[in-house]
Formats: sequence, C-alpha cells, structure tokens
Amino acid sequence: MPWASSQTLDRIKRTFRKITIDTQPNFVCLIVEDTQEITNILKHLKDVEDFRYFIDFHVIDFPKEKDRFLGQYILVNPYTFERLAIKVWFKSNKLPTAKEIFAGAKWAEREAYDMFGVEFEGHEDVKRMFMWEDYKYFPLRKDFPLGGIPEQKLPSLTEVLEGNTFPPSHDYDIMHTYVPTIKDIEKTEKSRITKKGQLVLNWGPLHPGTHGTMWFLFDLEGEHIIQTDVILGQLHRGMEKIAENLHYFQFLPYTDRMDYLSAVCNELSYVQAVEKLANIEVPLKARYIRTMFAELQRINSHLLWLGTGALDLGALTVFLYAFREREKIMDIIEGNAGFRLTSAFLRIGGVHYDLAKGTLEVAKYFVKDFYSKLKEYHGLLTRNRIWLKRTKDVGVITQEDVYQYGLTGPVARGSGVAYDMRKIDPYAAYDLVDFDIPVGDIGDVYDRYLVRMEEMYQSARIVEQCIEALEKMPENEPYVNKKHPAVLPPKEDVFNDLEDMVKSFRIVVHGENMPKGEVYSSGENPRGELGFYIYSIGKSSPYRLRIRSCSFYNLSVFPKVIYKHTISDAVALLGSIDPVVGETDR
Amino acid sequence: MNDMVFTAIVIAIKILVVLAVTLGLGAYLTWYERKFAGHLQARRGPTVVGPFGLLQPLADGLKLMTKAPIIPRGVDTKLYYMAIMMALVPAIMLFAVVPFGPSFKIMGHEIKPIVANLNIAILYVFAMGSMAAYGTLFAGWASNSKYAFIGSLRKAALIVSYEVVLGFAALSVILLAGSMNVFDIVDSQIKSGVWYIVYQPISFILFLFCLLAESGRVPFDIQEAEAELVTGYNVEYGGMKFGIFPLAEWYLNVLALCAIASVLYFGGWAGPHIFGPFSGFIWFLAKTFGLLFFVLWVHWTLPRYQAKDVVEFAWKYLLPISIINLVGTAFFIYFKG
Repeated sequence: MPWASSQTLDRIKRTFRKITIDTQPNFVCLIVEDTQEITNILKHLKDVEDFRYFIDFHVIDFPKEKDRFLGQYILVNPYTFERLAIKVWFKSNKLPTAKEIFAGAKWAEREAYDMFGVEFEGHEDVKRMFMWEDYKYFPLRKDFPLGGIPEQKLPSLTEVLEGNTFPPSHDYDIMHTYVPTIKDIEKTEKSRITKKGQLVLNWGPLHPGTHGTMWFLFDLEGEHIIQTDVILGQLHRGMEKIAENLHYFQFLPYTDRMDYLSAVCNELSYVQAVEKLANIEVPLKARYIRTMFAELQRINSHLLWLGTGALDLGALTVFLYAFREREKIMDIIEGNAGFRLTSAFLRIGGVHYDLAKGTLEVAKYFVKDFYSKLKEYHGLLTRNRIWLKRTKDVGVITQEDVYQYGLTGPVARGSGVAYDMRKIDPYAAYDLVDFDIPVGDIGDVYDRYLVRMEEMYQSARIVEQCIEALEKMPENEPYVNKKHPAVLPPKEDVFNDLEDMVKSFRIVVHGENMPKGEVYSSGENPRGELGFYIYSIGKSSPYRLRIRSCSFYNLSVFPKVIYKHTISDAVALLGSIDPVVGETDR
Repeated sequence: MNDMVFTAIVIAIKILVVLAVTLGLGAYLTWYERKFAGHLQARRGPTVVGPFGLLQPLADGLKLMTKAPIIPRGVDTKLYYMAIMMALVPAIMLFAVVPFGPSFKIMGHEIKPIVANLNIAILYVFAMGSMAAYGTLFAGWASNSKYAFIGSLRKAALIVSYEVVLGFAALSVILLAGSMNVFDIVDSQIKSGVWYIVYQPISFILFLFCLLAESGRVPFDIQEAEAELVTGYNVEYGGMKFGIFPLAEWYLNVLALCAIASVLYFGGWAGPHIFGPFSGFIWFLAKTFGLLFFVLWVHWTLPRYQAKDVVEFAWKYLLPISIINLVGTAFFIYFKG
C-alpha cells in the first residue's frame, strides 16, 4: 500500500494536535482545521517527514458549506513511497499559497483559480491557466451550467482584419471564445520587451515543434530564451466537469481523448480507480490482457515520441521507422478493440471483448521482431555524434526539480528518481510479471532518451510474459467480472441472456450507485503518473473527479529549464518532456 | 566574321543546353530524392503520377504555379522578389564553369563543353556560392516574419563558418594543379594518373562539409530547421515563389557543387573509354551523381546541428585542419615538385 503508515500519521498527529486524520481503505488524509497553519504543516511534512514529492493540488466545491471550497494537496515521500493527502478549507475564498514550498503548486494554483475562482495569499498575480484572460466565469463551480455561458460572437478573420463585412462571410453562432487581434499581439509584445535587441517569438499554437496546440511565448535575446510563458487551454474541454455529469462507465471513452497516444493506459488508470471505489474484483485473464495492452500502448506511445523527437532534431528517417512498428501495434489494438487510436477497450470490471483469435500469435511475432528493430533505432541514434551533441547536457532537470514540480514518468526517472507506479503500487498484473525500471543519472535529454528506449525493451519483455501466461489459460476463462452489480455484462450475454439484458438496461439508463467515499488511484502512463481522485457521495456519477495529469506537471518545469538556452534546445527539451496537449488541457 | 558567328551560335547553344539540362535535372532531382527517401524509409515514394511517378515533378510544378499568389502584409516587396532571383541566379550561374566532358571537334572547330572557360573558375565558384547566401538573407529580412528572420541570421552564422574553410580546402587542390581553370585541373589529374582525392583526402572531407553547409542540407540545415522555425527563411513565400528556394538551394546548388567536387577530387571526366565517344560525359555524370547520392544519404539519415555547434566546429576544428593541410601541401610541392 502506498498510503502513509499509521506510525507516520501518529508522528504527525503528535506534532500538530489540531489536525484530524481520516483513514479510508484507498485514501488517507489529514484534515487541517486552521487555514493559516497549512503553510507550517506543508513545510513540516516536506522537511521533517520527507513528503517532498509534490503530486497534486486540487479544489472541491461544496456550495452549501460555510467555507465553500476545499483544497487538497497530495504529497509523496520519495524514499518510502508513502502517499498522503492534506485537506484544508479555504477561508472566505482564500488560502495561503504553497508555491514557495512546492514550485509545482504555482501551476496547480493557477488552475484552481481558473476553474473555481479561489484566491491564494502571496500569489496575487495569478493568471488564468486554460480560459482566456477576461473570462468572467469559473467553470468547475457547481453552479456553472454544463452548457457553458455563451457570450461572444466569433468573428471571421476578414472581419477581424478589415472591419465588419456585410453580408457576413460566415454564419457564426454565438461562441465562447475571444479571438485576439494583431493589435493585441503587438500590445503583448511591447509589454514584454525590456531592452533593445530583444524579440518576442510566438511559438505555437500551431507549430510543428510543439506537437499539438501549445502556445509558447519566448522572449529572445539573440537566440537565447530569457523568459518563457506557456499558454495552455487550446484543447481544454472541461473533462472534469463532464465527468461530474456522466455515469461512471460513460466517462471511460473520454479518458481516451486525454492522452490520445496512450488510450489504454488512461483507461486502465481510470477503471482501476473506479474498481477500488466499488471494490470490484477483476478476473486474472482480464488483468493479463490489460497489462499486455497497456504495455503495447506504452511501446506505441514511446515510438511516437522517438519518431517525433528525432524529427525535431532533424533525423527524418527515424520517424518513419518508428511509425512502421507503431502501425503494427495499432493493428493489434484495432483487431481487438475495433478502434485504432481511442480504443475504449477496457471496461469497469474487465475488458470489453475477449482476445480476438490470433492476437497472441501476432503479438508474439511482433515482440520477437521488435527487439531487432529496437537495435536498429539504437544504431541510428544512440552513438551518433550529432545526436549526442544535441542531447547531452541539454535541458538538465535535477532531482530537486523533480520533487518540486511533481515530475513523474520517464522525466523523473531520467533524473534518477525511481518512481514508477507499476512497482510501488502494482495494479493489473504488474505484480505477476518481471521487469526493471531504468533510471537515468544526470537528467539531461539524452538520459531521458535512454530511459525511454530501455522502457520499450522492458515493455516488450512484459508483453512476452503476458502472452505466455495468456496462452496457458483455458479459452473460456471469464474476461469480465459480471457478477458485480456495477459491471456491465459483455455484449453477447446481453443479447442472449435475459438477466444480463435487464442488468445492462439498468446500468445504462440509471447508472449504478457507487459507495460513498474517496479514492485517489494512479497508474503509470507512458508520460508519468496519471491519477484519478474520485469523491463519491453515493450517486451513480462522481461528485468530483480530479484528473492528475502527468503532462501538465511535467510541462511546468519547462520555463525554468529552458532559461538561457536556445530555441534549438527548446525543441530538444520539449521533445524529451513529451507532453500531450489533450492531457495538459483536459 | 564567319568564325565569330559560329562562336556566338555555339555559346548560345551551350547556354540553352546547360539551362535546359540543369533546370530539367533540378526538377527531376526532386523525383530522385523523393524516390530515394521513400526507399530509405521503407516506403515507395511517388508512384501515382505517371509510370514510377515520373511525372510527379511536372505535377508539383503545375500545382506550385497555379497557387494563389499571397504576399504577406508589411513585406519589403522589392527585396522580397529580389531574394528569389538572388537565390536562383547564382545557383544557375555556377553551371557556367562546370565542364561536362572532354573537348571534342565539330566541323574542324574544337568545342569545350563548358559555357565559360574561365581561368579563375574556382574563384568564381566561391563568389557565386557567397552570392547565393544573399538570397537567403534577403528572404529572411524582407519577409517581415520572425521565423524567417532568425532563419536567415542562422544562415549568416553558417556562411561565416564554412566560407573560409571552403577556400582553404579547395586551395590545396589548386596548389597541386597549379591552376584555377577546371580543364587544367582535370588534365593534370589525367596526366599524373592519380585523382586528387588520393593526395587530398582531408581536403575532400572538408569540402564535403562545406558543400552540405552551403546547400543547406542536413546536418547543416539550421536555417530551415522545420521543427524550430517552421521552414525558416522561406516561410512567408508561397507557390512557385517558394518552390524556387529548394530548387535553387537543395538541387541546383548541390548538383553544381557535386560537379565541382568531382572535378577537383575525382578527375572530372577521367575514366576508361568503355562507352565510346560519350564515355567522358557519362563518367562525369556518374561521379557527380555518386556524390549527390551521398549527400541525400546523409540528409535522410542524420540529425541536425545547432548554429552555435556549427560555428564552433568550423572555427575550432575544421579551419586549423584546413590550414595545416594547406601548409603541408605547400611544403610538399615546394620540396618535391
């Protein structure tokens, strides 16, 4: 169990007598009564108790309570891997900032402000994270309507550039977005330049180097970046709001659309959180299938990183070599799930379909072939002098940065922090297979490259072991735990069995009420720790679902690391952090 | 009088032939490169337009020419157009001093298959190469775009690093041949029976580096650097205006420099007479395309350097090496020759 042990909790309780400790089966938290004391408690936890790894900060809205908003930190002790949540109520919408203690809290607080309109003492110039600057509303509040508040007409480009045209060039509905004009851009530029010879470079939102709709503002001196702003929100869809209004099983396909390169891994993290909440046992076969597909997806995602990362640094051919292998994985996934990218293959309590005929043979052949392909990639890049020159000692992320900013996944492991949820809190069948966690040393781009390359090798090993285990299983082993009331029965049973049909109807129409309680559960995504925090009040949909996004926190270190480096390094660094906008923005 | 008319006609024909061949070849090099890259990358390259996709360059050209001409606002229009010319003209002019084969006789007149048989041909090559850089610089300056601007500044950094090395590298060959005339250089290689690559392997490698740098090919394509600067200096150009830049830089420039390199280091048209009267021409083209193959191979395999790395590499390593090489060659010639 990765949660804080009772000894640790006792120690903390002895130091701070005013706090209450709430221990649930999948959640352990400290409830801090005195809002002003939170800074001291966080400092104490960080310095004395070694909970120095910042994982998440989020807010829950209780409109009927006296102090409406509840803030919650999640911290981890990186030496014992104990996890601890700290709850604190906002006093009249205010909370002391934690950005001095944990640098990662800066972005988390910006997001909290953006979504809930809460304020942080000591973090006054807090800016919107996803929504635009003069947006008046706070979407994750419970009183914000699901359909949004339409307020602005979206003009066409000719209208923006040449004044209103009649008849209008397009029939636009009233939209929610504000389109910046060239004047706005010039104004920003002027406000940012401090001395002669500087240049403000708009890098994105549509730029081949950013791998998605990410917007960077670089202040350049020569080609050196002296200040960076990351402007997110181009792909913000309000996933957390959507989740609050859907049944648990309905939200599953949405998780695919977050980190669209590792759909199965996202599903796995989510499904696992719901299973913990509802206490659902998963059949062994489903666990193996999940593991196999998650690892195939990890290879898939890392291959895309390798291809695009190499493309960013000018190696054109690696891209297609990587996509060639990627295609084979997509075919395996498509053959089983019916979809290639956003597969929606897992289900709460199991997987959607049994393994398609021949999957194991194909996967077996793929893995056997993949080892030689991996050698090919190594041959192209690993000892290439230009590659070394571009990646060695570029974008160094220290261990302290990792803890401070809450970096996870290969980014953390490249810096020598062996933080891998698959080992710390084994889920699916990870406790039944044998694999190693590669760890880097310096934390530069090259280390992260090596870590990811080795991870692909380890993933292939895991897939091999899963295939072995699955081959030994009898064919009619159950792949979904349909006995549990919250689990949708498989399709073929629904069509042939009256009871299953009734059950399916009931769940699809009304949803199944989940027990009250809280869960924070996370899985190891290709990009880091993807956590789901569910606050359930016993309904069929979560009261609050928080997605702890790995790309979001990994990206937050970017402005610090890129300081005084060139644009070329920015490309290399961004490639090695490998954020996916679908997940940073959610 | 008769002689003069004849010479004028011959020169006109030469110019026409060179223009037609280089521009046609330039267009078809796109096909060659795409096919080559395709097979390198486990794909097939163009296959749809014409047999083996052979009509692809024509389709591409047609597409580029029929595009709507867009000129961004705030552009320095004169420079904007001049940049295109500055890129294209020097690239074509380079072919003026490329000897396509040995001299032959028609109607009693000796004809050299070269447009201008200059005695300072190699110097002329350097000059034209430097002129081509203005195309990039102007394009970046005139475009009123930051990406283009940064791209062209990077090109300036690149020129600073490779020009000097290029000079010193070629100078050692000129010392060996004792002439800057391309015919003399080839003749002296044929006479001694040894190609200069044997004497000057270091100089050849330096020359290759400069060739890649001058033509903006990987690993020195920093002025384009797609992932960083979109496409760098030509980002604001569209249609055929854009098409000219890669045509001039990536194809014509590379082709001309490969031809010069085969003259300097591989004995030009020297080779066994196994193809009858055309064997000289065929050998020359074979050598040129062999080098071109190498350039493409590098292009589709390696990652790219950073601007600062290129400058550092050129000034710290290549320049001292080229000077030592030159001085060594000079001593060798002084004492032996």
